Parts: sequence; structure tokens; C-alpha cells
Amino acid sequence: MEVHLDRWLAEFGAPQEAEVSARDLAELIGTLEARYPRLQGKMRDETGAMRRFVRVFVNGEVVEGREPSRVLGPDDRVDILHSIAGG
Amino acid sequence: MARTDRVVLMVGTRKGGYLLRSDTSRRHWKVGPCIADGSDVYHVTADPRHPGEFYALANNDFWGPMVLRSTDGGDRWREAPTPRLPRRSQRTPGMAEGGESSPARSVRNLWHLTPGPADRPGTLFLGADPHLLFRSDDHGRSWAEVPGLTEHPTRDRWNPGAGGPCVHTILLDPAHPGRLYVGISAAGTFRSDDLGESFRPVNRGVRADFQPDRYPEVGQCVHKIALDPRDPQTIYRQDHCGMYVSRDGMDDGWTDIGRGLPSRFGFGVATAPALPGRAFFLPLDPQSRTTLGDGLQIYQYTDRDHRWRPLIRGNPFPGRHAIHREGLAADRLDPAGIYLGTTTGRIVWSADGGRDWTMLPLQFPAIHSVEAFVEGPNR
Repeated sequence: MEVHLDRWLAEFGAPQEAEVSARDLAELIGTLEARYPRLQGKMRDETGAMRRFVRVFVNGEVVEGREPSRVLGPDDRVDILHSIAGG
Repeated sequence: MARTDRVVLMVGTRKGGYLLRSDTSRRHWKVGPCIADGSDVYHVTADPRHPGEFYALANNDFWGPMVLRSTDGGDRWREAPTPRLPRRSQRTPGMAEGGESSPARSVRNLWHLTPGPADRPGTLFLGADPHLLFRSDDHGRSWAEVPGLTEHPTRDRWNPGAGGPCVHTILLDPAHPGRLYVGISAAGTFRSDDLGESFRPVNRGVRADFQPDRYPEVGQCVHKIALDPRDPQTIYRQDHCGMYVSRDGMDDGWTDIGRGLPSRFGFGVATAPALPGRAFFLPLDPQSRTTLGDGLQIYQYTDRDHRWRPLIRGNPFPGRHAIHREGLAADRLDPAGIYLGTTTGRIVWSADGGRDWTMLPLQFPAIHSVEAFVEGPNR
């Protein structure tokens, strides 16, 4: 599947676009972390929970709850972005 | 002091960290580039065993905690391995092979880093939230939890402080190899005599007004402790419920020294080698957690005659001020430099042991921590 990361995430040594095979969101994140080690811990914590201000979209639809078990298909497009937050 | 020595003031703020440098006159400061811009930087420190090496602990709202390291005096910073709780192997009935499970908790904020003793040049200690102490023996390339503390049998009686359940103070005793003190909110102080293999609580005599038992073994909300650099058996403590001194390495408990102050509440405490037998405190209103009266006032405690003395003459810094637990520090020069970093982003300091005070005419984001280090060819 096609994965797009926002510019901030790409600053951790990853490209903004990558091709990844994964059955669900947890496997996708794990694959990205293994491929680009500086991403470890940035999108999710050690418990596997996605970080509070990381948002995931599959084919343009937000993944409510950012469930790591969200099933993915080979033709999906996944966008991982940071949310509007802070001050 | 040598003329070529420089003082580095290491400042952690709500939006990044900074190194400020001055010659030993400490009159003018040059501010270096922002470290981890946009991140909460809780602590910046130098490794005196390796000249030019600095660490910053950044906690980013978006991307979590990160250790940053500089090996060139603070010009360039790189992300270093960050301590993480390991996945644990698990074996369930009927499984031929054990799988791995995620830990039930994660490292939330990194609070404080202390380089290890000189004879262990690769050792570092790092305190974190929730109630975690990590150790590295390979210069920070890998980290391991210190089970002697994090699995302490009293842990079920530890509580979070307002800043979270944090290990915020880690002090090595330079006179007693292997002795290590940690401060935990709200669990109290713990002492190790084997460089972290085992710990015992050392809180006798410290009040916990928020507990049914006013003098429990653990559960006190220690805010900061500081060793007397000339006599490290003497330790000063700013606790949620008062100021204290221990004169025997915390062995025989703590003596309440807060009498005579406008408030016993505060966050910071500092000591300086040039001023042995003294400690510096900033009493705060326990409700608002801001300074009392019309302006900033720092108090010096002298242990010999149990005397408190306000140091700031007149009212050069009117208004209400506040600091966090690492907002008060001193350097190792003579006369001593004493530094204050406020939650409104101002730095106030004295370069003459507390006689005269100046506010730096530069606005920082809210300051979490200040720490001073003297660098130079003679150090």
C-alpha cells in the first residue's frame, strides 16, 4: 500500500512516501519503525497506543480512535499526519 | 579560577532548551541556538567526564520523549537513543513458544539526567515518568530500567505529584563511591550504597500533611534535594511540607528548618562549593505557588546557627514570580554564582554569592530548569 507521512515525521529520517505491505495499522507502524529506526516511539508509545496528536487516514477517511487493529488492504492509501493542536 | 574558563548556564524551557555562556565575571551572557525547538525541555546538563558533551531531555507533545546529545559544546544536537520500556516475553499455557507483549505503561516524560561517577565513564542515570529510573553503561546507546528502584517493595505506596509520577532528582555522593540519592514525587527520597543495585527509603522526620499518617516511611512529596558540596553528608531538602536538613547522609532522618520563613512551601534548593554550610531556597505561597509579598526574595540558610537571611535588598524585581523544582542552581566558582529561572521566562542571578542580583534583559519561554557548569582547559 501507499503510505504518506507528513513533513514533521519525515524529519525523523523517513521519506514522505513509502510502499509498505501490512495487514493492519499496528503492522504498518511496526514496518515503518523497523525500516526507519528514528520513527520508533514517535507515532505510538511502548504500549502500542498511537500518540495523542497523531492522526491516521485510510483512503481519505480518518481512523476514529486510531485503533492499531484497523485492517488494511493492499490497495489502500494511508496518510499519517499530526493533528492541529498545541499552543 | 582561570581566565579562559567559561560558565555555561543550561536552561530548559517550555519551548526548547538553551545554553548561555559567559566568562567567569558572569556579567554578560551569550545565548546559543535553541535545542529541540518547540519541545518541552525539562533538563539540560553537561557531562563533566567528557568535555564538550551535553544532554537535553525533550518531551514533545506530538512525538513523545527524546534524549538529545551534543558532542561539540552545544552547536549541534542529535537525537540519541531514548529509554523505552521493553516488550516482555510471555508464555501462556499450551504455547510451545513464548510471545511478546507490550508493556502496560509507557515512558511519558524524561525528567533528569545525571552522569555517573568518573571511574565509569559510560554510565548515565535518567529519571522519568511514571516513577522510572534508567541506567546506561554504554554512553547512552542503550538503557535499562533500574529494578532496585522501579520494583521497590514500597512502590504501591507511591503517588504522583502535580507534575506527574516522576523521578526528578538523582545525586551522586562524591565522597562515598557507590552512594546515590534519588528524589521521587510523591514517594520521597531513596538512598543506594551500591550505585543503584538496591535502594532504601530515607524520609524519617519529613511530614506528609496530605497522608493519614503524617510521618510515613514513603509517600512524601519531595520537590528537590541538594548536597553540600564540601560535606556531602549534609543534604538540604525542599519538600511539599517544608524545608529540611540531614547531616548524616539521611541515615538518621531529617530536621525541620523552616521556622522563621514566611512560607515552608517551595520548589527549589541550591548549594555552592564556595558557600559551605549554606543553602538557598525560594519560599512560595502554598496555594498560588508564587512568591510572597511584593517581589522576588531568595533566602539563605546557614546550618551552623540555623539562621535564615533574605538576600535581595530592596525590591528590584517587583511582582509575583514562580519557579519549578529545577529552577534554582549555583555554580562552582568563588564567589559563587546563584541562578534562578522563572516560570515567566526570566533569569535572575548573582555573581557574588548573593549580594547583588540582576535580571537578564531577555525573555525566554517558561523555564523548567537551570543548571550551571564551568568549562575550560583547567576543569
